[in-house]
Amino acid sequence: MMDFFKNHKKPLIYALIIIAIFIVVFAIGFPLGFLTQDPDGLERVIIDFRGETWLENLESVWFPILSWIQNEYVAGILGIVITLIITIGAFKLLKFARSKKEKVNSLPE
Amino acid sequence: MHIPDGLLDPITIIVLWGVTIGFMVLAYYRISNLFKSTESDKMIPYIGVLAAVIFAFQFVNYPIPGGTSGHLIGGTLVAVILGPWASLIVIFLILVIQSLFGDGGITALGANTFNMGVICGIVGFYIVVFLVRLLNHSSMKKEIKVAIATAIGAYISVVLAAFLAGIEISIGGIIPIQVSVPAMVFWHLFIAIGEAIISALIVYYIYKVKPDLITTESIMGV
Repeated sequence: MMDFFKNHKKPLIYALIIIAIFIVVFAIGFPLGFLTQDPDGLERVIIDFRGETWLENLESVWFPILSWIQNEYVAGILGIVITLIITIGAFKLLKFARSKKEKVNSLPE
Repeated sequence: MHIPDGLLDPITIIVLWGVTIGFMVLAYYRISNLFKSTESDKMIPYIGVLAAVIFAFQFVNYPIPGGTSGHLIGGTLVAVILGPWASLIVIFLILVIQSLFGDGGITALGANTFNMGVICGIVGFYIVVFLVRLLNHSSMKKEIKVAIATAIGAYISVVLAAFLAGIEISIGGIIPIQVSVPAMVFWHLFIAIGEAIISALIVYYIYKVKPDLITTESIMGV
């Protein structure tokens, strides 16, 4: 674990800086008006045609599992951390699979 | 652009999952080029950071006149940095996490990956490649050429993805096609301006501070 932190000090520092920047952006963006909670393009189309209530009643299948997360900041930070772990994990897995394949191919017959 | 659960009909869900899985398998094989380099151990954490940045950016909604908002999708941007196939995997992983937080449906993950990963990522990237090769005839600096091409590629691919999303949601009959397609395209003509500007600025910034992070120069021919 310590080796991981030592080897990847720079990206981890970048990740922390990015999280800090986003917290600041979120904190000042809404009051200053350069961020908004207005519906996005797809939501706007659905609301215009079906109404807001119809859209609100569409529930994610994950909702019962993750409904304990009430705070958007907590959700955002948790998301960033999970994204980092899953993405790094997925690419490490791809690299592991490749190196294993190369080892098998390089074995003397 | 994130299609929620309950909007697509089962056939559309299955077909788009099938197409997406096909592209993902192809991406798995093509991605091996990224790992040929001995530096790939250093690259992987950066890929994670990039994915986290895109994830966070997708939560940042900027206002669009008319009471709507837009956010970065990042497919073309990631493709220009890491290549189209890595971009597809990154976008898929981001969408998986977002579906956990209710941004985009889990059943619609195939459709969302197709729109944002395949169209914005792979198609957007090849538009960028085409434009960079056109701009190669000019005397512009390469960072300017790639940034301009990224902006145009990102813009076109987002509008194209919105067009396809309009068709996808109309198939289930929830919104008729004569309403969904023009409305989706209309709003995304404005939303995509933000995508184009943010993508171009990030690419230009990376060229200025750490150009070796752009791994697709040889494909783009700059």
